[in-house]
Amino acid sequence: MTRLTEDQVRETLKQVFDPELGVNIVDLGLVYDITVEEERVNVTMTLTTPGCPLHDTIVGGVRRSLQDRMNLEFLHVEVVWEPQWTPERMSEAAREQLDFFR
Amino acid sequence: MFRLPLLFIATGIVGFVLYHALSLLTLGTWMFEPIRNPDGWFRVHLLVLDWATMIAMGAVYQLMDVVLQRRIYSMKLGYLHYAVFTAGTIALLYGFVASDVPFLAGGALLALTGVVLFAWNVGATMLQARVWNPVTASTACALIYLVVTAVMGTVMGLNFAFPVWIEGHDRLLASHIWIGMLGWFGLLITGFSYKMLPMFYLSHGFSARLQYPVIALLNAGVLTGAVSFLFGGGGAAQAASVAVVAAAFVVYAAHIAEVRKHKHKSSPGRGIWWTVQSAHALAFFGAALLATWLLFPGAFEGRQTTMVIGMFYMWGWVSMTVLGYLSKIVPFLWWTHKYGPRAGQPNVPTMAMMIPDAAVGYGLACVAAGLCIALAGIYFESKVWVGAGGTALSVGSILYMSVIVRVFSR
Repeated sequence: MTRLTEDQVRETLKQVFDPELGVNIVDLGLVYDITVEEERVNVTMTLTTPGCPLHDTIVGGVRRSLQDRMNLEFLHVEVVWEPQWTPERMSEAAREQLDFFR
Repeated sequence: MFRLPLLFIATGIVGFVLYHALSLLTLGTWMFEPIRNPDGWFRVHLLVLDWATMIAMGAVYQLMDVVLQRRIYSMKLGYLHYAVFTAGTIALLYGFVASDVPFLAGGALLALTGVVLFAWNVGATMLQARVWNPVTASTACALIYLVVTAVMGTVMGLNFAFPVWIEGHDRLLASHIWIGMLGWFGLLITGFSYKMLPMFYLSHGFSARLQYPVIALLNAGVLTGAVSFLFGGGGAAQAASVAVVAAAFVVYAAHIAEVRKHKHKSSPGRGIWWTVQSAHALAFFGAALLATWLLFPGAFEGRQTTMVIGMFYMWGWVSMTVLGYLSKIVPFLWWTHKYGPRAGQPNVPTMAMMIPDAAVGYGLACVAAGLCIALAGIYFESKVWVGAGGTALSVGSILYMSVIVRVFSR
């Protein structure tokens, strides 16, 4: 059986989009940390703003994307507000996408 | 939290379409007619209560849930509020159409009860959450002003049914309009925008310091204006109130400029673009109004000028802002309901895919153009311009709303 890696988890999380911005949460820089131990995964993430209306939806999307694609024994998703998200965390691809109409 | 806000928003949309369908029957020329008659009051209350306030109430339930990170105090109370308020406004509208005083008084009492239930529900949620910031402070002030507006309206209705203070009717009416327009809509829209505009522009690192003077100036303007209208403070006191309110909107526009300076999303959509332009127009209009009054104190004595100012505020800013925000709120509510449970799965659309941005832009451009022509027609007393502008305004509004409603089919 192939061992699950952090990169695989990160790649899977690219399927989760902020539906308002249309950018995936990895490129947005919302995923702070991923730890994988056997089939146990911990994801530490944030949102662009505290009180984001899409809080439950995006966290639910993270759970769904990982559980649907990986046979996980344990999944823990923690949303943190420190350090606060800043636009500097976005990837070049995300910046280009958001500036598309400029 | 989906059905309750949607219920208010759907009812508001029905009120809006009805208003414009009726407007089209007269080719918009009702704008030219004196407003102080049963027909005029019917239209104004259909627009203000069953459209703008209905949508605003739905938005408050939706946004307070987000801002306070807490479920509303009582969902049952929310549904009761909806039933009582809707029944009250329908009775009130019938009372105006039929010139039926018992219906007017009864409808006003029911609408007031609905407003009190709303203020109680949202107020209790706020007190439990204890989150105080410019958004919640503005909303709390707006709620208080809404209750005061409804109380004054009810007193006027009762005064018709049981004449007690007939000589005070005009004073009550002026305060009722002032507090409702500026206290309720002014503080609610500015307060909500503190949260919504940075989200839509993905703004970070902007200063929120201008939000405080906007709240202070708006409150000062609302209170001094209401007192001067109610107790006869005279033209100078009322002009001073207008000056303070105009200053509030200039500072509000400066705050929006600060938010946009720190944006990280170049295009939040054409609906938000129009919302922002309407705020700029309001600030410019307010400043121009003030400068004109200082140079020519007698410039605003005509009925046409008062109509132009009132229509510009209600249509140019309040309605334009509500319409612009609807292009975001409706896709958000529907997406969350329909696609939220599928987030993270393949082939889930984004919210932008649920509404054609170009159609939003054309619809609002038609509304804005129609309004400008109608306002010019009112000012210059041209029935042709008022008819052309009023028709364009209503056609644009109905087309725009059809774009919004089509979101529910996606």
